[in-house]
Amino acid sequence: MIEAEGLHKVYGDLAAVQDLSFRVMPGEVVGLVGPNGAGKTTTLHCLAGITVPTRGRIAVAGRDLAAEPVEAKSALAFVPDEPHLFEYLTVEEHLRFVARLYRVSQVDQRIPQVLREMELEDRHGALPAELSRGMKQKLAIACALIHDPKALLLDEPLTGLDPVGIRRMKATILDHARAGAAVILSSHLLHLVEEICSRVMIMRRGRAIAFGTIAEIVAARPDLAGRRLEDVFLGLVGQDGAENE
Amino acid sequence: MTGPLGYLAARSTRNRLLRQLRRLRTPRYAVALVLGLAYLWYIGGLQRPGPGAARVSAGTVELLAAAGVTTVLLWTWIFGADRRALAFSRAEVTWLFPAPLTRRQLIQYKLFRGQFVILINVLLWTFLLPGRWAGAEGWRRAGAIWILITTLALHRLGVALLRSSLLEHGAAAMRARAATLAIAGVAVAAALFDAATAVPALQSAWDLGPKELLLALRDMSLRPVPAALLLPGRLLVRPMLAHDWAEWGRTLLPAAAILAAHYVWVVRSDAAFEESAAAAALARQRTGRHRARAPRFTARPVPRLSPAGWPGGALLWKNLAALMRTGRARGAVFGYLAVGVVVALLSAVGVSRPLLEAAGWMAAMWAAFMLVLGPQWVTNDLRADLSRLALLRSYPLRGSTVVGAETAGSTAVLTAMQLGLVGIAYIAFWGGEVRDPSPELRTAALAAAVVLLPAINFLAMLIQNGAALLLPAWVRVGPDRPIGVEALGHNMLVMSGFVVILAALLAAPAAVAGAVFFGLEPVSGWWAGVPAAAAALVVTGLESQVLLARLGRVFEETDPSSVPAVESR
Repeated sequence: MIEAEGLHKVYGDLAAVQDLSFRVMPGEVVGLVGPNGAGKTTTLHCLAGITVPTRGRIAVAGRDLAAEPVEAKSALAFVPDEPHLFEYLTVEEHLRFVARLYRVSQVDQRIPQVLREMELEDRHGALPAELSRGMKQKLAIACALIHDPKALLLDEPLTGLDPVGIRRMKATILDHARAGAAVILSSHLLHLVEEICSRVMIMRRGRAIAFGTIAEIVAARPDLAGRRLEDVFLGLVGQDGAENE
Repeated sequence: MTGPLGYLAARSTRNRLLRQLRRLRTPRYAVALVLGLAYLWYIGGLQRPGPGAARVSAGTVELLAAAGVTTVLLWTWIFGADRRALAFSRAEVTWLFPAPLTRRQLIQYKLFRGQFVILINVLLWTFLLPGRWAGAEGWRRAGAIWILITTLALHRLGVALLRSSLLEHGAAAMRARAATLAIAGVAVAAALFDAATAVPALQSAWDLGPKELLLALRDMSLRPVPAALLLPGRLLVRPMLAHDWAEWGRTLLPAAAILAAHYVWVVRSDAAFEESAAAAALARQRTGRHRARAPRFTARPVPRLSPAGWPGGALLWKNLAALMRTGRARGAVFGYLAVGVVVALLSAVGVSRPLLEAAGWMAAMWAAFMLVLGPQWVTNDLRADLSRLALLRSYPLRGSTVVGAETAGSTAVLTAMQLGLVGIAYIAFWGGEVRDPSPELRTAALAAAVVLLPAINFLAMLIQNGAALLLPAWVRVGPDRPIGVEALGHNMLVMSGFVVILAALLAAPAAVAGAVFFGLEPVSGWWAGVPAAAAALVVTGLESQVLLARLGRVFEETDPSSVPAVESR
């Protein structure tokens, strides 16, 4: 489970995230959507323990991120929008490295599974420089999945993947959710969000302007009834990204 | 420079300055600046001796400076890093290379852009060099230093373009390098051949003392071959030593002519440098490394990481793997082994004792130099990973664990290098049958080095990593770090600051070690050094612990967005 209470992050005069409170239960997939600069990545960074919130409380799998950072981080995995890989470690070594950090047991059994899941088996000895953008993204996701996280945070997870990779990635995300992980993903691909997310949070200027199932969001705006998420999104934030109250 | 390139260079410089000024709103940057300026003022004061102080003659200063410049020029030809000299940023490659601009325009833009770093260094050297820095003398010196540094920067660029041109016209890379090596080799061989005839005079001067040796070297420099080799260097440094405007004007003309010739040489080059520059830009963006060239990694085998154990060990293993996968590490290991084997063989057969003694002293001195220089060269630690701060922050590790494990990587490498040198020195002294220092003292020193070097190096690396963490915008860890003579002033200041902090931190362990040593020495002789080293080790360990805890907190509080991207620092 991922919980955020009164999450607030300020950079100088800019409030990147304002009073965000939500709870993502095991098995749920929550989609974060919003125009550029809405605060999606900052939110994910706060949840991943990368950025310290200005105020508010975050808990992952029941562990307070500020009070027990190591225990909380052990239960989560974060996949950034750009795969940050070590250019001198091979695919398999990346997995071994991350497995040691997260104290994964039975690594030798787990690594082939993850490699197979990400279709990287025949590239296990390759350095990142020998991988395509999509393969690098798969490796970053494989590193995130190797310790079976209870909370999964994905920032634009499908960037760079080919159609087959996208399909497999969607299945992987749903599989992990079904296995009990709480998943939050941020994406501009609204059809993806509509397809795999159980709930959606629409953000604008650091605030959640809508949160719930698409049906719940539409119920609050009868004029958007029967529309797809894209229309709902545009109806809420406006064609130019300005909120349409 | 006018037009869009002039606009780009001017606005980039202006925005860079403004951003650096804005950083001063952060207290740690403001405090660092004040301390840096105070230190600079102090060093500047030391360079202005009182009226009674002994002065080196102008001729000797000119000779030494010219020798230095000649060395830099030769170094450029032999070891010059083409990719760094031709480096454009990724954005410049993306926007300027496909634009309708000539190569000449691109080179002129690069020269113009480089002036920012050059002017800062002119300011630094004008203040740091002995003599008055204000008034007419200061202006004369600043102008002369600008000509010297700009010429050397142009020379580096010209050599890089020449190599690019050779490659473009079909010469293989090694042949291109061989051509420059041959030119430099002929020059050095001619000088050495000439110098060989002067060896007896130099030997006599060596026995008489440093002053006589300097005089003998000065006489030797007047012989035809060395004089010809040193002439460009002499012409370039003379304006810096001018006493009045008339002398300055007279000496400036040849120096300015050399500068102009370099400018013409560089802008008239037709070398197709775009591919090399684009590759360098890509590499620097990808690696973010403090290297003369971005390292190329190959997937050669490294020891497998054990799945169980201290999680921080994964970071240490990663950093050591990074080093083992570059060609440099292998080269260094082979170099050490080769020297070690040769020294051991010579020692075993008992020949060339003076040579062995000299080799021993050189190895020992180099190990000592590496206490200061090593922490800046060996950077397989947090400095190399700063661009991945967000990733490191997401790991389930405490900040102190991350900083400690990262620092341990570079500490291990530096310590291994130093212990290798100390070992070579020990064998060489043994083979050279050296009596002073005594074998007992040497063995005690070896034992103390084994005990103390890891601790001292860890402390030194913590300082370097702490600086990168506290002042990420100032510590240039990426490959765009200013290099070459034009950045010497900046780098020298950074190193001086590091040495001062390290010395301050080592004062307490040294005091404790001294007390233990002098307390036990009457009983144990030189072997008192071992408990003294152990005592120093304990104090150093405590200092490291405190520093590590503090830096761990800084790591946990550092927002990755506050660390500028490598190219935008």
